[in-house]
This record gives sequence, structure tokens and C-alpha cells, in this order.
Amino acid sequence: MARRSYLYRVMLLTLFLALSNLAIAQPSNTQQTPAFHNDVVIKGGTILTVTHGKIENGSIYIHDGKIAAVGQTVNAPANATVIDATGKFVMPGIIDSHSHIALDDDVNEATSPITPHMMMRDAFDYNDKAIYRALAGGVTTSLLLHGSANMIGGQAVVIKHKYGLGKEEMIFPGAPQSIKFASGENPKRVYGSKGGLPSTRMGNFEVMRAAFIEAREYMHTWDEYDAKVKKGDKDATAPKKDLKLEALADILRGKLLVQIHCYRADEFLTEIALAHEFGYKIRAFHHALEAYKVADKIAAEGIAIATWPDWWGFKYEGWDGIPWNAAISLHNGVRVALKSDSEDVTRRLNQEAGKIMHYGLTEEEALKAITLNPAWIIGVDNRVGSIDVGKDADISIWNSYPLSSAALVDKVLIDGDVYFDRSLPRLGLTHYKEVQ
Amino acid sequence: MLKKFIIALALVATVAAQTKKPKPAPAAGDHKMNIAVAMNETIALKGGKLLTITHGVIENGVVVMQNGRITAIGGAGTAIPSNAKVIDVTGMTVYPGLIDSETHLGLTEISADRMTNDELEASDEIMPHMHVYDAFHAETALIPVTRINGVTNAIVAPGGGDTLPGQDSFIQLAGASATEMLTVRDIAMPLNFTGAQRRNQSFESAKYPFTRMGMATQLRQAFIDAQDYDQKLIAYDKKKSAGGDEKDKDAKDKDGKEKEKGPGTPPKRDLKLEALLPYLHGKKPVVLAVEQPNDLLTALDLANEFHLKVILNHVTHSASLLDKIAATGLPVIVGPIYEQPKDDERYDAVFSMPAQLAKRGVKIAFASYDAHNSRNLPYAAGYAVGFGLSPEEALKALTINPAQIWGVDKDLGSLEVGKMANIAVANGDPLDVKTDVKHVFIQGQEIPLVNRQTELRDQYWK
Repeated sequence: MARRSYLYRVMLLTLFLALSNLAIAQPSNTQQTPAFHNDVVIKGGTILTVTHGKIENGSIYIHDGKIAAVGQTVNAPANATVIDATGKFVMPGIIDSHSHIALDDDVNEATSPITPHMMMRDAFDYNDKAIYRALAGGVTTSLLLHGSANMIGGQAVVIKHKYGLGKEEMIFPGAPQSIKFASGENPKRVYGSKGGLPSTRMGNFEVMRAAFIEAREYMHTWDEYDAKVKKGDKDATAPKKDLKLEALADILRGKLLVQIHCYRADEFLTEIALAHEFGYKIRAFHHALEAYKVADKIAAEGIAIATWPDWWGFKYEGWDGIPWNAAISLHNGVRVALKSDSEDVTRRLNQEAGKIMHYGLTEEEALKAITLNPAWIIGVDNRVGSIDVGKDADISIWNSYPLSSAALVDKVLIDGDVYFDRSLPRLGLTHYKEVQ
Repeated sequence: MLKKFIIALALVATVAAQTKKPKPAPAAGDHKMNIAVAMNETIALKGGKLLTITHGVIENGVVVMQNGRITAIGGAGTAIPSNAKVIDVTGMTVYPGLIDSETHLGLTEISADRMTNDELEASDEIMPHMHVYDAFHAETALIPVTRINGVTNAIVAPGGGDTLPGQDSFIQLAGASATEMLTVRDIAMPLNFTGAQRRNQSFESAKYPFTRMGMATQLRQAFIDAQDYDQKLIAYDKKKSAGGDEKDKDAKDKDGKEKEKGPGTPPKRDLKLEALLPYLHGKKPVVLAVEQPNDLLTALDLANEFHLKVILNHVTHSASLLDKIAATGLPVIVGPIYEQPKDDERYDAVFSMPAQLAKRGVKIAFASYDAHNSRNLPYAAGYAVGFGLSPEEALKALTINPAQIWGVDKDLGSLEVGKMANIAVANGDPLDVKTDVKHVFIQGQEIPLVNRQTELRDQYWK
């Protein structure tokens, strides 16, 4: 009884806080003007372009939120805002292709192993300070994924770290939709511990197969209906719309980028076989600690990996993780990204990239692993991930060589607008009005 | 593979179980390390930049190692014995092996597999009689992974889930067996007061201590019980030394003989209370783990009440008490600096703690607080440099500072004649992520830079 009344009070209080927070926070967030889209010139820094080498004492001209010119010198209007980057390093904003921040712990809909119709966007908490802390580490774009409890989890949301703006303004416009798959220990533990299916790797893949077969039948009934309508059959009745089967059908139709949490060499091969069986493509294996054992096979499929430089041993399927995984995979032709999967590591992916140079990657390969390659995994590499003309002006400016232990972010620009500036007092944010 | 570990673990446990009595407590600051002198070859490192830590940087220097110790150090002209194996380290950086001030090395293999974990006896909160050396798995795959990045010594601590989870050991990351690697057993005792030790999952499964009040009261009672136990032992010893030859005229035993007026029955031995005595006597330090300001104050009061010798640990969110921490004069094991700041703290509030403490003259040391990735210890220090710590202070916080804090600075923490030859050689700044460690020496013996992971690399990298 006492417990209930306590809980009741907590609930009331939470509700009250949530409402009052809305009342105060909402206007301050929505009243923000979006990116000002001025002309901006970043001058004097060492530019790490990612795609065309290093430009010493170079300049970047930003017009209307896009990179309009980059080179030793650029033509920019005289009234352009100048950011002096003399003695500093300028590189694209960092891209994290595996993150679960800003979801307020709503990461896993762990009630069924097949939940492709969960939309992470529905849980996206745009006020989460973790977005700001990652921004302060140079991150401009993140893929917020469903967790790994389910064989087929929910659909991801891609964000730009415009902390201080509203929810819709933070969502990456036009980014393709990704879906999260998982495999191995997590799904079998989550459902096996409840005495359910799956509790083995056999069960894991079986529930996936069954789901895709059901989705095929669903697609077939809709195809039949569409054909009848096309023929002019006015009596044809539409099959029931089912969000779950619709989402599975979208996988089979190739509409979603498939992102698979997977550790073990044999499981990469099983996942590939399953993708062949049902005719969808895999975009990337995430974590992928044993990719180095079957790197040629992963490369042959055009599948990327999103991995950590050195995590290992935290569970049995992570036991064979080695820090040379990235290098061996890359030398076999695999596209490699370094990701965080952690609200800590996402703040210092530059350090992770420096570390991977210690384990066999060149500077250019390491830089790509936190910029252009994760952009490819997310499907936004035509928009971000390098300092190239026409791309979004998502840029991080560092006080020293960024791929090192001790580099600090000075400024971060997204779509040509400064969102973080270390020299500013308090939180260093430019678009954030603190709620009193 | 796992089976092999479990068997090895069982063997270690058996061996350790035979060592019943903990070693007598050495005075803090003067630990005699349990070190077998290695009868190895004489090695000279020539041409490197020597970061001696205690007497500056020597460019193009020479270090000579003999019988496990540094026997000569100096500039290019330093005499090299004719029988020495000379290793040319021109262009490289030579520095003392790094000391990690908190790890769980040897207590875990696979984090998620309970059978390979011996970090915490969670059955009770007051467990000072747990000794990590009883579980220390010398053959762990994690130690060779850690040491090839230049970490040569470490504190092995039990997990932080109990207020008093047991006692730390100081290890060397190489040795013929656990006996050689556990260089100082029961070197210190963690006292954790962060709130994470509360047993407050829910009211339904409530268990004492459910709150910080409970934690503090339970700790106070434990120390009072230990004081009482101590008094009983003292009283017994006093009686015993007062003489026992007189016959007691009043008392007869059941056979009608006169009883000896001896000291009586000794107090029943209590391992738990016995374990607390060296700490109550101030002979060994308590490692006080706190994060928030309120916990720091409560725990310090408790420590003062019982006159405990304190090393502070974490102080993660106590930026508001920096001056007070400095005023106590206590050393601080700082970190993990990768801990998230609170929502009202600036993004760099935790990153800059080491710099803020050092600026106020606090002696700091770094710890990985890890096992699998303890090899990344120098990078945390490097990151702290980014946030204002001087590179010299950062390196001290990995070498001489922890050596002094743990009382092993006679043997470790700097490149000096007479100190143990625990040395790392790298191709650059020891704190930078891109730097490759090229040689590691422990007790003057070169450690092969191989481990389970390099073997897998070599198997698959074709």
C-alpha cells in the first residue's frame, strides 16, 4: 500500500514535471531561428578533407549551409563571416553510425524478437544532453539505432546534433531509413531467459525466416489485390494493413538499409545466406569483432563494418575481438567505420581513430572511419563526411591534430552555422536557452 | 579455451588457499615487495630519450639493467658493461613502466560469463576479509594484452558493489606464477561510498542497507565491532603477559586439580574484524571511493571518526570541493575521466578534474578501472592533458605518484639506479594514442610483445 502511494506520488510528480517542462522548454526551443545560412569563411587552418588530402593554411567558403569552395584560397564575398582557424585543424564533422543516445532508455522493445515496425523517431528525446556532449566532441551526425534484444528491431532515426533546436530541426532531412537486426547472444538471452523462442542461434534464425515467409505471403496478397484493382475488379477487398508485415515487406523490397549487430564469423555467413535466400541486401555488420576471420567474404558482398578499435572480452562472442580487426578487414576490401555504441565513446571518436592508426590504419583510412565510411553506412555520404564542394557544411575545428589523445574541439558547425564554441562560457552552446 | 581457464583458475585458487596467513603489514610507504630476483642477462638501452620522471629528461641516454634492477643511467657517455646486450633505441622514448591504480586484472575473463568472474562477493556489504589474491588468476589472457602497452604494475581491486568489498593487492604484470606476480598482498582496502552500494532495487526486495544512512551506520558498526575486538585482543595479551604461573586457589577444574590462572580463553578469532585492524591502526590506507560532494563529506567524516589513513578515489562530481580536497592533503586516484558529467555540469567538468586537482597541488594518480582495456591507461592521462594537465604531471600520475601513494616508490615509479628495471620503450609520446610501444621490460627481462590477440592477428593477417 505504502509502495503504491509512493509510486502514485512519483507518477504525479513526473507528470507534473513533464508538463511544466513542456510548458517552459517548448517555446524556447521552437522560437529558435534555424541555421542562419550566412556566408562563412573558415581561414588559415590545416584542412583534412578526407577525400583529397590535407590542405595546409587552407580556406573553406560556406554559402547557404553548403560548402561552396575549398582550397588554398577561395573567393568569398567581403561581408562573409570569418572564422580564423590559424594554427588549428579543420575536418568534417564526425559521424557516429551506431548510437543509442537521446532515446531515454527506450532502446529495446524487448517483448518480441521481431519488431521492425518500431520507429526510434517516436522515442527520440531531442533535449538529451548527450547530444550536446557528443557535439562538443565534434560529432555532427548520428544514427540512433534500436537495441540488440530483437532479431529484427526497429527503424533508426538519423540526427544532426543541432542542440538547442526543436525535434524536427534535428532530424537529418532526406536520410534513408535504416533498420536494426541483431544476432547471437543478446536475442537468445533476452527470450531464452523468459523460457521462450529464441533461446539458441537456431531459434534466432528460425524466427527471422518465419517472419520473412509471412511477409512474402502478405506481399503476395497485396499484389493479388492490386492486380485485381488494376483489372477493374470493383469487388476486390483490400487485405488488412499490418504495420509489422509492412515493415518486413519494406526490407524485402529493398527500401531499408539493413544494419546487423553481429559478432561471430559463422554468423556473418549465416546472415549473408539468409539475405540471399530472401533477396535483401545488408548494409553493414555492427560490432563485427570477428570480421577479420571472413573479411574477404564480407567484402565480396559489399557489406561495411561498424566496429570499435579495441573492445573485447565483455562476453563470449566478443572473446576473439582483436584491435587489428579494422586493419585486416580493410586490407581485404571491407569498408570500415569506427562507431561508439556508447554515450562516452561518442564524445571522443577522434581518439578512437588515432588509436586505430596504432593498429595498422593510415591517417586517411582512420579519418574515413569516423567520417565518410559511417556516412556511407547511414546512406548520407553524398551529403556529409568530407570537405567537398556541394556537401553540407558540417565541420569540426580542433585546437591541435585531431587524431590524438589530447586534441580538443574548438568549434562545430552544422549546415554552416556554429552550434558549439568552446570559448563561450557556461555550456559553450550557441542555440540553447537554459530552462530556469 | 574457457575450460582451460577454469582449470587454471581452480589451480590458482587451490594454491592460494594454502597461503592461510596474510603477510604482516609493512609500514605504508615502505613496502617490501615480494620479488624473486631474476638472474637474467645484462641489457643496455642506448640512444633513447629518457623520461626519468624524478631527475629530468636525458636526451640520447643510456640505461643499464642487471639482475632485475637499473644499475646505471645517464648520458651517451655512460659506461656499458662489456657483457651487456645492447639494444639501440635511438629516436625512441624510454620511461618507467606504467602503474595502473585500479584494475580487476586476474579477477575476470569474460565479463558476461559469471563463472569466469571473481570480482565481488556480493552476499554481504562488509567483506574486508576477502583477499583478491585468493582469486587472482595469474594465467589470465588479459595481462599479456595489458602489459604490451607499457603497463607493468597494477592495483587489483575487488568490484565496487560493496561498501567494504575486500582488500587490494599490488601486482607485477609478469612472473612465473601468482606468487611472483602478487608483489604486495592486502596493500589497501577500498571503502566505497557512492550510493551504488545501496541494496535498493525496490521496496519489495528491500535489504539493509537500503539508503546511505544504512551504509554509513553499517560501516560505523563494523568499525566499532572491530575496535571492541581489538580491545579484547589487547586485554587478553595483557593478561597473558602479566604471567600465568600462579595457581588459582579458588578455581578447580573438573578433575579437582587447581586451575592455572592464565589469561583465559583467547577471543574467538573473527576474520572479518581482524581484517579491519591494520586499517583502524592506520598501518594501511583505505581507498575512499566517492563521487558526489555529499558523499565525499560523509565518507571523510567517517574516516576521521576512526582515524583511517585515506587515499581518495574518483571524486568525479565533486568539482565544488576542489579546494577542500586540496586542504586535506590526501592523494586522489582520479577518474574514470570518461564518466558522464551531470546534466548541469559543463561537458568537460569530469575531463578536467585531473588538471584542476593537480593545479591545487593534489597528488593524483590515474587508473583504468578496467581489466580488458587497462592497456588504454595512458590515453586517459593524455586526454587529461588536452583538458589542462601538464604532460609532465600526467606522466607522474602514471609512475612516481602512484608508486608513492602505494608505498612502493623505493622500487618503482622512476628511472633511477637501484630501482626495479620495469621500463617501456615507445616510438613517441607515451600518452598519445598513435604511439607504438616497442619494448617492455619487467624486472630487467624483456617481455615478448605477444598475446592471444597478436596470435589471432598473425593467424589471419595474410
